This record gives sequence, C-alpha cells and structure tokens, in this order.
Amino acid sequence: MLQILIQGLLLSGLYALLAMGFTLIFSIGRVLNLAYGSYLLIGGYVYFQFSQVMGMPKLAGVALAAIVGVVMGIAKFRLIVKPLKGDHVAVEISTLILAVVLQAAVVLVFGDSSKILLPIIPGVKWLAGTAIPYSNLFAAIASWLILIGLYLFVRTTHTGRAMQAVSMDPKGAAISGIDSDRVNMITWAISGALGAVAGVFFASYTQLYPGMWVGPLIIAVAVVIVGGIGSIIGTLIVAHIVGFMEVIVSAWIAPELRGVFTMLLIIVVLVARPRGLFGREEL
Amino acid sequence: MSFLDIDKLSAFYGKAQALHEVSLQVQEGEIVAIVGANGAGKSTLLDSVMGLTKTGGVIRLGDQVLTGRSSSEIVKLGVGYAPERFNLFPYMTVRDNLLVGAYTARDDIAHNLDMVHKLFPRLEEREHQETSTQSGGERQMVSLGRALMTSPRVLLVDEPTIGLAPKVCLEIAEVLRRLQREFGVTIVITEQNANFALSLAERLYVLESGHVTASGTVEELRDDPRLAEAYFGH
Ligand SMILES: Nc1ncnc2c1ncn2[C@@H]1O[C@H](COP(=O)(O)OP(=O)(O)O)[C@@H](O)[C@H]1O
Ligand SMILES: [Mg+2]
Repeated sequence: MLQILIQGLLLSGLYALLAMGFTLIFSIGRVLNLAYGSYLLIGGYVYFQFSQVMGMPKLAGVALAAIVGVVMGIAKFRLIVKPLKGDHVAVEISTLILAVVLQAAVVLVFGDSSKILLPIIPGVKWLAGTAIPYSNLFAAIASWLILIGLYLFVRTTHTGRAMQAVSMDPKGAAISGIDSDRVNMITWAISGALGAVAGVFFASYTQLYPGMWVGPLIIAVAVVIVGGIGSIIGTLIVAHIVGFMEVIVSAWIAPELRGVFTMLLIIVVLVARPRGLFGREEL
Repeated sequence: MSFLDIDKLSAFYGKAQALHEVSLQVQEGEIVAIVGANGAGKSTLLDSVMGLTKTGGVIRLGDQVLTGRSSSEIVKLGVGYAPERFNLFPYMTVRDNLLVGAYTARDDIAHNLDMVHKLFPRLEEREHQETSTQSGGERQMVSLGRALMTSPRVLLVDEPTIGLAPKVCLEIAEVLRRLQREFGVTIVITEQNANFALSLAERLYVLESGHVTASGTVEELRDDPRLAEAYFGH
C-alpha cells in the first residue's frame, strides 16, 4: 500500500510536468499540439547525445534539452500555428505529421534500437520495502519545483497574467494592450521547454526509443480531456488520477495494461462528461 | 484640429459593410455620445478605433495615425476601451483584471489603481472576488476600471447602461463626469438610450444603419426627429 502511494506520487509528479506543457497550449489556443510528444522525444535524445555520448555534465544536458525545446516550440508556432491562423484541424493534422517526421529523423540519426539513459543521480533509496531510484526522486522533486515556479510565474507576473487573459478572453486581452502573438509565442516556448525536460525524466523512467512520443502524448491528452480546459491546478489533480491509476493497474492487474486504462479513461470521460471534470476556462 | 479624428471610416465583416464613410470629431476633454438603435454599427465603430475590424478611412489621435496599427499599439497610444460585453477575465480576481489592464502602463499602476478605487470604492472592497461571480453593474465597473488602468487619453465606452438598473446607470454617469472633470479624460460613449446620452454628453452623433445622419450639441438635437427615429430604430 505504502509502496503504491510512493510510486504513485513519484510518477504523478512527472506526469503533471509532462501534461502541463500540453495543457498550456490547449488553454491558450484551444488547439491540441499533437507533436507535443516530440518535445519529449527530442529532449531525451538531446540529453542522451550531450550528456551520455559526449560526456557533458548531466544538468547541462537537461538545460540543453530545454533550450532545444524552446527553439522547437517557437519554430512550431511561427511556421505552423501562425500561418494556419485559427484552423484547429489543420494545426492538429500538421503537428501529427510533424511528430511522425521527427520520429523518422531520430531513427535516421540515432538508429532504431532503444537506449538506456544513465540515471541523473545514481543510486537507490530503500523506503518501506520499496527501491526508489534517486533519479526518480530527483525527477519528481524537480517536476514539482518547475510547476511551482510556473504557477508563480503565471499568477504574479505581467506576462503570466497576460497568458491567463489570452486564454480566458482574447478580445479582452487585446483591448488591454496585450499582443497575443507575442504571448502565444512565449507560451509555445515554455511548453517546449517543459516537454523537453519531461522527456529527459520520462526516458530515464522508461527507455529512450524513437516511438516514445506516443505514450506521453496519450497521457497529456488524457489529462486535458479529463481535466477540462487546462488549469494548472486541474492538471495537477488529474495527473495524479492518471498516475495513481497506472501504478495501481500495474501492481494489481498487469503492467502491460497501464496505458490501456488511461485510454479507456479518456473515452469514458468523453462520453460521460464532454467538458471534463473541471471544465472551466482558466489557466 | 480635433483630438480624436475619424475620417470617412468604413468597416466590413467579410463582404458586408457595417459602416459607410463615418466621420466624427472629438475635442480634447469632451464627452461625445454616439446614439443609434440596435444594429446601427455603434460597437463596430468603437471596435474599429481599436483596430479590431477591417476598415477603410483614417483614424487619428492627436498627431498619431491609428489606422493600420495593432490593438496593443493603439492602447499604448492612449485609447482605453470598455466594450459592450465587458470581455472581462472571468476566473481572475477583480484586482488581477485591473492589473491586466496595466499591461502597457506598468509605471502608472499605483496612480491608476488609486484613481479606480476612488471612483469605484466597491472594487477595492471586492478586489479578491472573481468577476464571474459579480453582478452586471460590478462588471461594468471592473470593465471601466480596467480601461482606466491603461492610462487612456480617450476612453471609449460601449453602451454603459445596457442591462443595468437605473440607480447603477446614474452611478456610472456620475463616474464618467468625474473622469472628465477631475482627471481630464476625453470620453466617447455609445447609447441606444437617448435620454442618458442627452444627460451626459456635450455633443451627439446619430448613427443609422452605418451612416451618420445627424450631429450637433445637446441643445441642437434635443428635439430633432432624427434622434427619436434612431432611438426607436424606426
Ligand atoms: N462579427 C460580426 N460578423 C458579421 N456581422 C457583424 C458582426 N458584428 C456586427 N455585425 C453586423 O454589423 C452591423 C452593426 O452591428 P453592431 O456594430 O454590433 O451594432 P450596434 O452596436 O449598434 O448594435 C449589424 O448589421 C450586425 O449584424
Ligand atoms: Mg453594440
């Protein structure tokens, strides 16, 4: 029981980080960035390349992954989202195609085989009969710190309030002097950084392989759909629902079914509560 | 030359033309009302000043041309807007709504917040309330307050009295007068309610189906049949 609690908390912290970048984009543009998983993919491989292959310090590898995520986010906004102004279906199709293309590019550069990431912090802590890798603990704590930072940023800075404003009422934001293109671009940049860092953590939880963008994308979609339009608090709560559900399914039913239950949850909520459990339009 | 100068403004929604070469001048420190029935183009006119519609013609504020600029630049140049449906941020507090208004006027926050709280003491009492839970009158106050936080030189108010109780209408009118008198703000309002417009403004324009059909001082227009016509929307 304690074991499930500990594993659930660790995994959910990571899921919250992972989903946050996705919900941010959804709440500000009402559009699903189906290439979101490729931030995780590219982030993981950037870290692998710089820290593991080239031997740079691990935190520098994480920082580089975040920077690449920022660049990808800005590029996606400038090259896809802005030219397709307002056409959500076109954005969703293009981003999905982009994700597949990026997967192919990763195969081309790094090959098809999966790679094991060395832990960011080696070692294991024993707690209540459970082995907790330090790197998972680190990932969970880092995720929480990043999310707290994001929350404070969104709630207390002019740019953060502008992000909320654009998400709640674009016309109201415009007549308050907010340049929504600029705010959108900043949001895409933040989303890219969150996704890329989550990718490093996620890959060290599981493995690094070219198809690894799909699983996290499903988790992120689940969090948005179950949570309703993405508020930060709602995202945190739902990330814990999904995280705990997966840990419980793995422990009590079968590890292979964890993802299946997440997908079932998406369908059940879509049918039962089309606007999600926390359907209010805030950030 | 006038302070706010709208010269042959046309506005379009797709192929439909909502304004036809509307010309309108506002002097610094004046209160001007645009009176027209539902659908006359009042909101379109104010949206156009904010750069929110597709337009032809020229709009100037002081020596700056507003036409062709983005809304955020227009706000920076000194136009504040309290729109018809308020467009507040429903899950933000009153205070945060006001602070969003200060996005381009960050150096004036203390001064502007003080002014808003003097005009609407209620907003200070309710500063932690989410605007989604407020009454129509309170939302109008937040909307005006948010516009004032942008440090406007001219304030556009779209139908300030729509849907409000008579007592609240009087309160809003009084605040607009104080803004003009004590803070020197130039004000443009739109109204369907001609009586309210007559009681508040110094000059009026009558707008009908996207055309200006009459203009003049309150005395000139008080008994003008065109005003009554616009009022009742034929
Ligand atoms: N977003 C829009 N799309 C298409 N037509 C519009 C839109 N907004 C207003 N209109 C049309 O423009 C005309 C003027 O509308 P509006 O400016 O809202 O009038 P008012 O504010 O005086 O009631 C109306 O015929 C209205 O149907
Ligand atoms: Mg209107």
